[in-house]
Amino acid sequence: MAPKLPIDSLEVEFGNKIQFTSEPLFSNHAFKINESEFELSIEGVATYKVKGGRHIDIIPHEGADKESIELFLNGSVLGAVLFQRGIIPLHGSSFIHKGKGVIVCGASGAGKSSVTAAFCKRGAQFINDDISPVAILQNSSHSNNLPEILPIFSTIKLWKDSLLDLGYEQSGLRKIRPSMEKFYLPVDKSTNINIKLDTVIILTTHQAEEFKSEVLTGISKYNVLRRNIYRKSYLRGMPETSKKFFSQLINIASQIDVVLITRPKRARIADTVDFIDNDSLIWKR
Amino acid sequence: MAKIVWLASYPKSGNTWFRMFLANYLKDSKEPLPLEDIERTTISSSPEEFEDESAINPFELTSEEVDNYRPANYRSVAANSPERLIFKKTHDAYTINRKGEPIFPGDASYGAVYFVRNPLDVAISYANHNTSGLDKVICTMIKENAFIGGRVGDQLRQILLTWDNHYYSWQNQNQIPVHSVRYEDMVMKPKEIFGSIVNWLELPYDEERIDRALNNSNFKTLQEMEQRDGFRERLQNCKQFFWKGKIGNYRDHLTKEQVELLIENFKKLMLQLGYIDERGELTI
Repeated sequence: MAPKLPIDSLEVEFGNKIQFTSEPLFSNHAFKINESEFELSIEGVATYKVKGGRHIDIIPHEGADKESIELFLNGSVLGAVLFQRGIIPLHGSSFIHKGKGVIVCGASGAGKSSVTAAFCKRGAQFINDDISPVAILQNSSHSNNLPEILPIFSTIKLWKDSLLDLGYEQSGLRKIRPSMEKFYLPVDKSTNINIKLDTVIILTTHQAEEFKSEVLTGISKYNVLRRNIYRKSYLRGMPETSKKFFSQLINIASQIDVVLITRPKRARIADTVDFIDNDSLIWKR
Repeated sequence: MAKIVWLASYPKSGNTWFRMFLANYLKDSKEPLPLEDIERTTISSSPEEFEDESAINPFELTSEEVDNYRPANYRSVAANSPERLIFKKTHDAYTINRKGEPIFPGDASYGAVYFVRNPLDVAISYANHNTSGLDKVICTMIKENAFIGGRVGDQLRQILLTWDNHYYSWQNQNQIPVHSVRYEDMVMKPKEIFGSIVNWLELPYDEERIDRALNNSNFKTLQEMEQRDGFRERLQNCKQFFWKGKIGNYRDHLTKEQVELLIENFKKLMLQLGYIDERGELTI
């Protein structure tokens, strides 16, 4: 059975041969890329090829399990599909809270998924986990060419500790890979339409014990958004897309709030969510 | 295309101090650079860099899978840099991954500067750094398969080995040239030792510049900056990263049994490095 992917107009095929038909503009041991083609090899899992944002070929490696093949397909490979379609994938999880469309961005391990799951437990509407595609679409459900979040996911990936911390049972949940204590938590998908993006929260950690909040302005908003593009290293081989993303991000940055939240490295999820939930810099603007 | 210089050490052995000196020296700064400028020398266990080079979230791989990627990731970093040299701090011992490849690839390396410090002072400084208690730190230092990092949101896993095997792992390999310095010599004859590193790296040698960089990175200045601005490499419960830095600090903190345990485990290397004499007496 073909693995599931959360976006439409996409063909996925399993095969035994992958050919890069044009010259890559960047390549290293892991991936090669140009504007229309992308190839990624994950040792012991699979080699993936994405073409034109519409077609994916997969060659599973010997002994690979289907969970791992699906995990990276829905991560790094999906990222390449979005790049090829000219849609910016921000590295963040997203939800609607207090009437605002919010993306929580940050590096892997910063706590994006846990914070989003906790907000959803408090009544927020889930949009995406880990990757939040953002586009300014013509003829969209919103007028004035506002930036929108495209809803694509219906599960949140959470480590066992976070599940327990949030009061969920792990039994019955699917592991993301057989060797990992990380699980897919299904969440109520209350929206299938694009959601207006109001605020991007950048979640970082520090070694101090206090929480900090800072509203970014001017060019620093753009810089921070660019740093939080999911798989931004693909842009090394996509100069045209890089230019498109630059103008789109400038436009997006001018229409949204960007708030930097710094939490103690060892903060509990509930404390982080309390701080964000009570931060007037985010909700009362 | 660049070559990588590994700034290698067991934790709490003078690595960060040297990185501050280097940042000041390379910039030829008149005033002390802020601690955040140390980011010029990135850490080899950075998960962000791993993700950029491999296009994979390292926390969705096992530590063994991560180690399989690391040599090629470093080659990619070096191949795509316009600099002559890239400096990378590392606390990893020199080890081989499951594919039989060294984690630190010789072909992408200029060399390694290895910082070594009296293990008795390392124990004290390390215990202050991670607030885990002296006995626990000593257990780590004598544990054959010790490692740090590897947890979600943390650095990548770094295999330490024992304190002495960490040293031997770098000295006994033949893929990367190593220039070793003792922390105690960095403190007692800074100009000579830091100057020797500048020469070994074939950086432009300038005595006045060395004086200035040493002055801008002296321990008191670093302590004052940490007090004023904080320091991101300080762990959450640790009060001060730049704590004492002095030689022989163990005398005020280690028990006789703790000293004996460390000497018993590390006798050969401590003798070789001059931390004990032939009779097993401490020299520092």
